[in-house]
Amino acid sequence: MQNSTPKDIGSINFGLMEPEEYREMSATKIITADTYDDDGFPIDMGLMDPRLGVIDPGLECKTCGKHSGSCNGHFGHIELAAPVIHVGFTKLIRRLLRGTCRECSRLLLTEDERGEFYDQIDESRKLGRDLNDVTKAAIRQARKKDRCPHCGEVQYDIDHEKPTTYYEVQQVLTSEYSQRIAGAMQGDEEAGVERTTPDELAEKTEIDIGRINEILSGSFRPRESQRKAIEKALDIDLTEEDTNKLMPSDIRDWFEAIPDEDMEVLGINPERSRPEWMILTVLPVPPVTARPSITLDNGQRSEDDLTHKLVDIIRINQRFMENREAGAPQLIIEDLWELLQYHVTTFMDNEISGTPPARHRSGRPLKTLSQRLKGKEGRFRGSLSGKRVNFSARTVISPDPTLSLNEVGVPDRVASEMTQTMNVTERNVEEARRYVSNGPEAHPGANYVRRPDGRRLKVTEKNCEQLAEKVDAGWEVNRHLVDGDIVIFNRQPSLHRMSIMAHEVVVMPYKTFRLNTVVCPPYNADFDGDEMNMHALQNEEARAEARVLMRVQEQILSPRFGENIIGAIQDHISGMYLLTHDNPRFNETQALDLLRATRIDELPEPSGIDDEGEPFWTGYDVFSELLPDDLDLEFTGTVGDDVVVENGQLLEGTIAEDEVGEFGGEIVDTITKVYGNTRARIFINEVSTLAMRAIMHFGFSIGIDDETIPEEAQARIDETIEDANDRVEELIEAYERGELESLPGRTIDETLEMKIMQTLSRARDNAGNIADEHFTDENPAVVMAESGARGSMLNLTQMAGCVGQQAVRGERINRGYEDRTLSHYKPNDLSAEAHGFVENSYTSGLTPREFFFHAMGGREGLVDTAVRTSKSGYLQRRLINALSELEAQYDGTVRDTSDTIVQFEFGEDGTSPVKVSSGDDNDIDVERIADRVLDSEFESDAERRDFLGIKTEPTNLSEYADDRLVEGTEVTSDD
Amino acid sequence: MVDVSQHELVPEHTVLEEDVLEEVLTEYDIDRTDLPKIKRNDSALPDEADVGDVIKIVRNSRTTDQAVVYRLVVE
Ligand SMILES: [Mg+2]
Ligand SMILES: [Zn+2]
Ligand SMILES: [Zn+2]
Repeated sequence: MQNSTPKDIGSINFGLMEPEEYREMSATKIITADTYDDDGFPIDMGLMDPRLGVIDPGLECKTCGKHSGSCNGHFGHIELAAPVIHVGFTKLIRRLLRGTCRECSRLLLTEDERGEFYDQIDESRKLGRDLNDVTKAAIRQARKKDRCPHCGEVQYDIDHEKPTTYYEVQQVLTSEYSQRIAGAMQGDEEAGVERTTPDELAEKTEIDIGRINEILSGSFRPRESQRKAIEKALDIDLTEEDTNKLMPSDIRDWFEAIPDEDMEVLGINPERSRPEWMILTVLPVPPVTARPSITLDNGQRSEDDLTHKLVDIIRINQRFMENREAGAPQLIIEDLWELLQYHVTTFMDNEISGTPPARHRSGRPLKTLSQRLKGKEGRFRGSLSGKRVNFSARTVISPDPTLSLNEVGVPDRVASEMTQTMNVTERNVEEARRYVSNGPEAHPGANYVRRPDGRRLKVTEKNCEQLAEKVDAGWEVNRHLVDGDIVIFNRQPSLHRMSIMAHEVVVMPYKTFRLNTVVCPPYNADFDGDEMNMHALQNEEARAEARVLMRVQEQILSPRFGENIIGAIQDHISGMYLLTHDNPRFNETQALDLLRATRIDELPEPSGIDDEGEPFWTGYDVFSELLPDDLDLEFTGTVGDDVVVENGQLLEGTIAEDEVGEFGGEIVDTITKVYGNTRARIFINEVSTLAMRAIMHFGFSIGIDDETIPEEAQARIDETIEDANDRVEELIEAYERGELESLPGRTIDETLEMKIMQTLSRARDNAGNIADEHFTDENPAVVMAESGARGSMLNLTQMAGCVGQQAVRGERINRGYEDRTLSHYKPNDLSAEAHGFVENSYTSGLTPREFFFHAMGGREGLVDTAVRTSKSGYLQRRLINALSELEAQYDGTVRDTSDTIVQFEFGEDGTSPVKVSSGDDNDIDVERIADRVLDSEFESDAERRDFLGIKTEPTNLSEYADDRLVEGTEVTSDD
Repeated sequence: MVDVSQHELVPEHTVLEEDVLEEVLTEYDIDRTDLPKIKRNDSALPDEADVGDVIKIVRNSRTTDQAVVYRLVVE
């Protein structure tokens, strides 16, 4: 470990390995399939030969002399009795067989053609294109040649039977040529083909009549030219396909003769990779470290899948050799050869289509080389790109509205397990000693210390006092997490950058992570059992980066749409609505109570004096206390009224979703952009606490009575639905009489469906309207829908009025039995009821049939979301992989790893979506920006200077710096 | 036939002079082949554009008024 200095990688070359190279790097030849002898010692030249490396601790490697852990293991090799094809290269082998001559092995292209493709490859390489396109084109052209342009040999088609068998397909004279000729000479009266006499045939084909007779009797096989002449004369085909299997040894000989010059056109570098190396004659045996055997509880050894496979290969290899030496018949040899090929193939890839996978005795398919690398749990995606890490914790999350949105509550048992490294100096030595003397169990304690000589010591309950005295400058102390430490917090699926944010630790009792409810939207978290991950940062740079770039408050604005993604949600919105909708009055105690969790500890001047002579404060005035003093805003709010803020005072309007909500709440958005992230964080924290106080002040409950309507209203709804049913009945009758007129571009059936749907949806709306009339503005469901906190008027309508038409694929429900949806209905019943119209409301309850239709409609929604998430997940993965190497450079361009320019300016405009909020519905408000700039310019000289100079945003780096950020007092430095 | 290059949504494509091109390549410190590509048969190209030429494309941009992009003409 000590002497393993990091090295720079200069370049990487990929190519094929030469058999000789396998032998050279091999520590030993493997000749026996046995692994251990009776005493449990590995057998020499067996699969566990000690020269292949060691896994048992204490043993010494026979090749390098190192012990397990430092010896990486060494390859061995098996001399294959006969060459076999490497499955990884079957496509390339096929290509080469098709593109080269079967006789002289040269590429089937003329010199000129070859030169042309050579130039094309050069150009493609320069332009960074896929070389495969050119090589494929070269092979395609070569394949067209019937004869070799160099030696003139006739070329045959190559058939590839997956995975590793190749045939030459030759057209040869069929054995029933005489019958076919005779048949064709009979003629065919129906098709108008006349009879042909042998004399006529002889004349047409210019073949001697005697020969013709001999051919007809089957005693003479026509030569190729004669066959062609007869075929032409009689318009028949006298050939049949004859397949000739190419053995791996034949292919190897064939490839050995391919000249180097021809290979460059095929995109192969002959110095690094000769094509005959794709046919294996030597098989490398992976070191034992790559296939360690495990000892089971009962003392038995269990071998790795790769070892099992290698045993199979060696056994067959031996049998092959024995049989060949004994002079076994060709058929048996070929069978063994195929078996050897099968084992070598499945050794490398055990999931080839068309080949039965090699199985373990238990029936489980073996996990061989390719299975180790492939897929999500494979070496690349599972072990290299994404690995399990230390200093991380995962547990269930729960809400805590008293935390700041920047904070996370960490259970004490997590905090005392995960540590931060303290470098002890003269200045913090006292602090460090305090941690150590607390020991590993008491909370702000320490788990390990490192002495200046590099020795790491575990802090225990016993030695902590002693150790604390020894700690001095130059030591390192691994102390527990404490309040204010920065950690990274994440919830999967990590779909956007706000899925991973940095939080400040607040150590708490119990076992869950606690987070403020306003950070639920960016994580898409709820508390129905969601778990989240936490990572403790381990060096100063990481902690600084996390603090400056990743803290929750820095992510308030979403890069997706340039507006705030963090803001008040759910009950916060209801609370703000209650506080501001009718601008209620509060006495001093109430007003102070509302603001108790904010920074405000002194009320402003009372808004007025009530009839009893008591001062009162309005909801507007209470809310305005949270706003920056010089905020001016005017826009149309959630409930449709104008919201007016002047000099930090709310003058008009209701505060609800569009004002302080999560996705583009106007006030939150403006504060973030104008006053900075720190001010926005304070505002969101305070709005949420004020809202909680407000909703508790008024009380907010919802129950089944809130969705129940009086009997008289129910009667009216029933009537409306009865009417609709009648209308539908009329439509159906008109349709059956053939009097229904079709709408333009629609069939009669479609027209009827459309009209029924229209009628029924109108009925549902009417029912909803009737129900609505009976709900007051104080109704909690109405408050939630109006304010945008949760639910909509449609939900309310369905609860109180009528659930309405259920749909699958946007149509009334039409599936089920033949000509009807359920056996409860007559065939071809078109009525509303029979096609999923639910007359009842959720409150009154659904009938069994309605319930069934409702479940059908509901199922579609579930399936859609399931399909959508998996599809979009894959799409996202592909996009991430395609874009991950693009990088914005210091010169403003966006380039890939080969320095090819993708964009000349980031996003073609060099702007950050977070910094310029503009969308389809709001262009950049240049005028307002200019106004603000001019305002600040003309007020005083000092401000003009301020305007000309660069104004640095106060980035306070900790929750603990809040007291210094009192409005009006300038915060100048990063603290 | 419609000449798409005259359509208002098709940005202006002009062939870059050799000396200006040199400046561009020096500015970005790249070879001609590192530029994004455009096919010769692209209908937005001016007639005189040839394989190997570099095209300057000036697009209207909502945020920066004009966005300039260069492309190498390929077959
Ligand atoms: Mg959940
Ligand atoms: Zn070794
Ligand atoms: Zn040849």
